[in-house]
Amino acid sequence: MRARLPQRVLPPLGFALIVLGSWYGVARHLANPQLLPSPWTVGVALVDLLGNGDMVDDILASLGHLGLGYGIGAGIGLIMAALCARFAALETAIDPLVELLRPIGAIAWIPFAILMFGVGSTVPVFLISYGAAFPIFVATLAGMHGVDRALLAAGQALGASKRMLITHVVFPAALPHVLAGARLSLGVAWAAMVAAELTGSDSGLGWRLFWYQEFFRMDRVMAVIVVIGVLGVAADALLRALRQAVVGWSPEDSNAA
Amino acid sequence: MEGLIPRIAITSLGKTWQGRRGDVEALRDINLAIGPGEFVAVVGPSGCGKSTLLSVVAGFATPTSGKVLVDGLSVDGPSPERGVMFQDYALFPWRTVADNIGFGPLARGVKRAERLEITQRLVALVGLDGFQDRYPHELSGGMRQRCALARMLANDPAVWLMDEPLAALDPQTRIVMQDELLRIWGDERPADQRRAVLFVTHGIDEAVHLSDRVVVLARRPGRVRAVIEVDLPRPRSALRSSPEAARLVAEIWALIRDEAVDAIREENG
Ligand SMILES: Nc1ncnc2c1ncn2[C@@H]1O[C@H](COP(=O)(O)OP(=O)(O)OP(=O)(O)O)[C@@H](O)[C@H]1O
Ligand SMILES: [Mg+2]
Repeated sequence: MRARLPQRVLPPLGFALIVLGSWYGVARHLANPQLLPSPWTVGVALVDLLGNGDMVDDILASLGHLGLGYGIGAGIGLIMAALCARFAALETAIDPLVELLRPIGAIAWIPFAILMFGVGSTVPVFLISYGAAFPIFVATLAGMHGVDRALLAAGQALGASKRMLITHVVFPAALPHVLAGARLSLGVAWAAMVAAELTGSDSGLGWRLFWYQEFFRMDRVMAVIVVIGVLGVAADALLRALRQAVVGWSPEDSNAA
Repeated sequence: MEGLIPRIAITSLGKTWQGRRGDVEALRDINLAIGPGEFVAVVGPSGCGKSTLLSVVAGFATPTSGKVLVDGLSVDGPSPERGVMFQDYALFPWRTVADNIGFGPLARGVKRAERLEITQRLVALVGLDGFQDRYPHELSGGMRQRCALARMLANDPAVWLMDEPLAALDPQTRIVMQDELLRIWGDERPADQRRAVLFVTHGIDEAVHLSDRVVVLARRPGRVRAVIEVDLPRPRSALRSSPEAARLVAEIWALIRDEAVDAIREENG
């Protein structure tokens, strides 16, 4: 059920105003303004950074890391899942390794990556790939295994070849799961990107956070955080829109992810 | 059907399922011949092997003993020559009504223009005009059922295998669909224009209303307990509550009653 527009917009808006108001109050009257700049100061810093072009470079660098890393990681996850679905022996072989590596998480590999690749773009790209691969792998494999047997039987009885069963039944049936996995992967990739850039990179939004920290510019630190948040939401919205466009056939609640 | 070559010939068919908790003998020594254009209903208590019988004929399961011939050829796997309709329809949720119906022709490599023509004809035949572009989840139960029927018909199979195809419908829609099914099958046409139908149902009155013969299965293991000829004239829709039909229903129910009660007791522990 979809609530009407005012009901959907007013409560979050109200809550955001309360948070901003409290922030403003605390920053003005209680905290050290150097440590906790007011929303207004952060806004000014944000406009300033966007205006002088630095921020744009940082955004582009981060999106470059993300695009490359996510493409590689999600691609590997997707291909491995398809191979595992096709060749059961492969799944048996790699499953223990996957289960071992998955909970480690990308961030634990930062020291390894820095020593291995040196500070630069390779570190975030590597870690984003690592983080992005697992959620989409797991979701896709589950989706392919979970294909309703009755649909396969129906396809066979209608004369579909083995190949057509895979392309016309298994793939579309798994697609909502694939897209849900893609979204989870993006969330992990985004977090890995910030963490990896923070310590292992010489460009990107995460690196810039570290930079402003060194100069004790809390207003700019927070401006960058705002940008990271907004871009993260935008990227997620993009994937959600993609899902809606591609699997609009699916009743909304059956693949809510 | 003596004298005619049966479309489906089932001889000494036995099927034992191998399960984790031991083997289940689902069917034993089933003998049944179904002529081209004959409508045969299968009834029996829950668990007597009706669905098993259908999946063996469809080619989803292999016989443990005996054999199934369709048009003289041994069944080895599913084929578009044998259309199947499933109880929960198994429509492809990512395909529209038209694309679901067109799946069989697509699988058989029929050209696009001809596919379109087949789809349009069937959409009209089952009364889904105006709903071609809907997805299954946007349809009512009755419309889904029509769509599944049209999808099966799109291959023009010589044999229709139907496992409780009307069970999920509300009683009124069900009655309407029974007569629709008869019309599409060719109730009003000469017998040589009809297809062979193997129709599993829990509804004894439905079996009597639709079929030429009712096969009554007994359970544990599933065997043919009786075959009842339904000698009512066609078309049947006017005959819904004739005394003759009521007599047949009572006769079949008497054959099943005790076992049906047992089956329910067992299911409840
Ligand atoms: N795939 C299977 N694997 C193992 N056992 C099965 C399988 N399918 C059916 N059986 C068993 O075979 C017996 C007959 O089942 P079947 O589904 O054919 O009965 P049915 O007459 O269709 O029942 P219902 O009226 O409840 O649909 C049951 O005991 C069932 O547990
Ligand atoms: Mg059954």
